[in-house]
Amino acid sequence: MSSQPEPLPMIGREPHAAPANGGEPVAVAPAAEQSNPIRDAIAEAINEHKVILFMKGTPEAPACGFSARTVAMLQSLDAPFAAVDVLPDPRIRQELSAISNWPTIPQLFVDGELLGGCDIVTEMYESGELAQALL
Amino acid sequence: MPDPDEIQRRIEAAIPGALAEVEDYTGGGDHFRATVTADAFAGLSRIEQHRLVYEVFGVEIGGAIHALALKTQTPSTAPTPSTS
Repeated sequence: MSSQPEPLPMIGREPHAAPANGGEPVAVAPAAEQSNPIRDAIAEAINEHKVILFMKGTPEAPACGFSARTVAMLQSLDAPFAAVDVLPDPRIRQELSAISNWPTIPQLFVDGELLGGCDIVTEMYESGELAQALL
Repeated sequence: MPDPDEIQRRIEAAIPGALAEVEDYTGGGDHFRATVTADAFAGLSRIEQHRLVYEVFGVEIGGAIHALALKTQTPSTAPTPSTS
């Protein structure tokens, strides 16, 4: 069975009308020639978005309570963020965890760095550090 | 299927001086919540502290252990002083 690399499903999420990138959906088309296009596409997405959340489901329809809580915290801070659903292809989660050295979903990246999963984001939200980090 | 006692034992065995409190918060044997207190966390970021604990379980996280919610702290930042 041949498995062609598929485009990484990405959803742009911009709660406000026209922030920096104009609310364009995030679309990443991996180059077919590369040995690990999914990993490359994930790394690129992390670098291109100030705030990007890898989650189960979408911000509108989260598929896991931890993802839902993380989305709710970001939205309550009015923070624009890009979101990637890891569920459509198990390789997304696999490659993401290989890049981040972090086993669970969700994973929130700010300025190219892993900020944390739901627990750390919750602690930072409660202490006010999350709002600071998202500035 | 892992149980809270096993998870507690494994964390305490793997991280020197660690004290872990683990609960199965859904009762289903796959969603756990742990508070881990260890001197080994001193000087580490939260991310690094959590990684130390996740590393104890490797690929079981996301597998047999669907979720392991973590709170990590050092004895000096713990709300109640540990007995050690």
